[in-house]
Amino acid sequence: MDNDIILEFKNVTKKFPGVVALNDVSFKIRRGEIHGICGENGAGKSTLMKILSGVYPHDTYDGSVIFNGEELRLGDSAIKEAGNKGIAIVYQELTLVPTMSVGENVFLGREPLEHGSINWNKLYADTREILTKYQLDVSPQVTVKNLGVGKMQMVEIAKALSEKASILILDEPTSALSETEIDKLMDILEILKSNGITCIYITHKLDELFRVTDHVTVLRDGKEIVTQETKALTQEKLVSYMVGREMKERFPKSSRAPGDVVFKVEDLHALDPNETSRKVLNGVSFNVRKGEILGIAGLMGAGRTELVMTLFGEYGKIVNGKILLNGQEIRPANARQAIDAGLSLVPEDRKGMGLVLIQSILKNISLPNLDQFSGFFRIDADAELKASMAQSKSLTIKAPTLQVAVETLSGGNQQKVVISKWLLSKPVVLIMDDPTRGVDVGAKYEIYKLMNDLAENGVAIIMISSDLEEVLGMSDRVMVMCSGHSTTTLPVAEATVERVMSLATGMSSS
Amino acid sequence: MGISNQTVQDKTNFKSELFQVLRLNVQTYTILLALIGIWAIFFFTTKGTYLAPQNISNLFRQMSVTAFLAAGMVLVIVTGNIDLSVGKLAGFVSVVAAYLQANFWYKYLPDQPLLSAVLTVIASLLVGSLFGAIQGYIISFLRVPSFIVTLGGQWLLTGLILLVTAGKTIPANQPWFSDIAQGYVPVTWGWIFCIVAIAFLFWNMFRSRQNKRKHGFELQNIYIDLLAVVFAAVVILVYVYNVNSYKGIQNPVLLLAITAMIMIYVSNNTRFGRYSYAIGGNRDAARLSGISISGMVFKIFVLMGFLSGVGGVVLASYVGYGTTAAGAGYELDAIAACILGGTSTLGGIGTIQGAMIGALIIASLSTRFANDERSACMAICFEGHRAGSGCACRRVLQEESINY
Repeated sequence: MDNDIILEFKNVTKKFPGVVALNDVSFKIRRGEIHGICGENGAGKSTLMKILSGVYPHDTYDGSVIFNGEELRLGDSAIKEAGNKGIAIVYQELTLVPTMSVGENVFLGREPLEHGSINWNKLYADTREILTKYQLDVSPQVTVKNLGVGKMQMVEIAKALSEKASILILDEPTSALSETEIDKLMDILEILKSNGITCIYITHKLDELFRVTDHVTVLRDGKEIVTQETKALTQEKLVSYMVGREMKERFPKSSRAPGDVVFKVEDLHALDPNETSRKVLNGVSFNVRKGEILGIAGLMGAGRTELVMTLFGEYGKIVNGKILLNGQEIRPANARQAIDAGLSLVPEDRKGMGLVLIQSILKNISLPNLDQFSGFFRIDADAELKASMAQSKSLTIKAPTLQVAVETLSGGNQQKVVISKWLLSKPVVLIMDDPTRGVDVGAKYEIYKLMNDLAENGVAIIMISSDLEEVLGMSDRVMVMCSGHSTTTLPVAEATVERVMSLATGMSSS
Repeated sequence: MGISNQTVQDKTNFKSELFQVLRLNVQTYTILLALIGIWAIFFFTTKGTYLAPQNISNLFRQMSVTAFLAAGMVLVIVTGNIDLSVGKLAGFVSVVAAYLQANFWYKYLPDQPLLSAVLTVIASLLVGSLFGAIQGYIISFLRVPSFIVTLGGQWLLTGLILLVTAGKTIPANQPWFSDIAQGYVPVTWGWIFCIVAIAFLFWNMFRSRQNKRKHGFELQNIYIDLLAVVFAAVVILVYVYNVNSYKGIQNPVLLLAITAMIMIYVSNNTRFGRYSYAIGGNRDAARLSGISISGMVFKIFVLMGFLSGVGGVVLASYVGYGTTAAGAGYELDAIAACILGGTSTLGGIGTIQGAMIGALIIASLSTRFANDERSACMAICFEGHRAGSGCACRRVLQEESINY
């Protein structure tokens, strides 16, 4: 075998019920290089890495993975096996124990022992050795929770390397990092490379690919589109590889004429409620007209969900900017105030934030609207039932009765329950965060039709979606977010996939 | 239209529908069956004296303090919290009541037994609510876990009880006051309440069927509804007959019945109740639906404090004394009653009705063991393992109902 090749994917296919996540993917990674893998959300990047790390054992996919000339056959305790073979992964979500020190985290589960008790001196000395070797600027004794995200990532890398990794996979490592932290990470990658460690760098930020990678593989819809030397690529070419697919007639037609601006956000800045030194929103401005669907596009981590949660009074601390509804400034401090002002939010996480799964359809639909049906004390059960029935009928929720617990419904019907609940509050502005996520094709179409109907009836809709086609297919205008700020709002006629992607990846600023 | 046309078809489906209803409500029925089973065993081992009027009378009175606490505890647990201080709070309220009765009004309002009893009750309920409000404030607005706050509250109250009693027992057996928990509803009035309650059950059943029909819901077989209502009516009749052949319905039991009815109504038919269950079912979804979690949790702890106050008044009046040991361990009884009655420790699920039956089971077991000198040790062992075994039973039942 070619000794230059450390890792090779051969005809890897991974299917999930109803979806082909990876379709006959084959490419090679050379020893000691930094190999970038890029693609849109859902292109199959994560699935590929899960195969490599053993989350999906070897008998759950077709094809083979050749590692150092041998087929990688990871079994039941695969995640540990992968580690032993020298494959280490730094996940997007950090996996450190925040209350432990850096050293404890690096050697977690593999503490050096002496007569059955932990040899702390050796543990910290070894940690220091690793940290200095790769020029990671962290002290071994410091508690992890006191570190910033960038430093935590260094600890993750140190942890991976302490297991004698020969190949290090970084899954979107920069999504939570600041500019300077990204620069530092790029330097570290160079140092790792000079130490002979192979890196797989997964990202959708194009400039980073061009900065550090030697080769790039582009995935799209589970297929490998191209693997090429980075030098031979241009950004435009890369974008076209990433998005180059034809648009189908997936979206119902609508003829609507948007009216005046009803909702306006001016230069909104907000802080992360969990870490008030970090800005999650960094200058967002847009407006929505009556009877219009405004799509918000952006990559994961661009701050879209944070934006709508902040508008709804349930996330960031607003430090600057204005929110205007019908020309009047509002500043919801919680969901109740937002609802009363006329906003509704169909949240991103349907099961986690949208529904009380153990309760009935009826109780879920009426939950935010009980004030409508209540006197001082009693809920008028008849009125509640009537209104909920009407909603459920008009949205064609498929269930034997409204008394059925929502956890028994399909994803599409669950989403209809969430939408019903928010329509019952008669919103002026309806915010929908990824409304068709995890919803089957039929229900998707129904939701699209419903959105068109609502817009025709004068509701202003703000829609977030990670599916770019959906944004372009449904919106009248598209606002693109990148790293917490709004770039520009394009009329849908001018919004091409390439244009939106280049705005979202921060390549061009207008 | 109407019932007569459907009768033939109804009869054929009756069995299968009954079976389905039993299956769907397996938890409710198992807990009832457990109660009946326990009574049956004790009935035979005591050669019938266990279900004698006097014993039944005692049994229900015995359960009342726990049941007041359990009625509030359901909502506390449903919202994902716990209150470990309720036993000692009831105990503290009872010594405050005794102190006011014996040492305070005696000085300032001599020879005014009715007025002082009323003032004592008002003061007691205020003390309970206030303590609940303080704990509720710390839990909901300062975000300290309820387990810690109420455990601390328990210790604090233990100290406060010693402070008020100075280690002595205070008598609380003054006229009017002792009638609250020791008195009986006159027999005639007992029958009147009984008839009103049964009439209400039937009226409620027909009204709810009518409403369902109005909205085009599928109606449950009328015989199943009737069966349930008749069963409840028979239970009430037998109970009233039984206690009336002794001295009548006890005041605290009537008070408990009214409290339980109000709590059932509140938990099903008001925003307060709905929001509690929503918070327990999914805190984030509730928050995004515009529910103030802190506000709700605060109110629930105030209510819990108020009901602890009621429990404390009944306790003082029933025992006739305020003692240093008052209320010890009642919180565990209340929690066990809720869990036996189907309240989920994960939150979001639980009924007042269930907790009431749970409280009755616990009282049934403890009176049996307490009445029999041979099983004094049993009683102690039982005390210790009650909550634990209750949870274990519950766990098994829940698993069953999931796998049916």
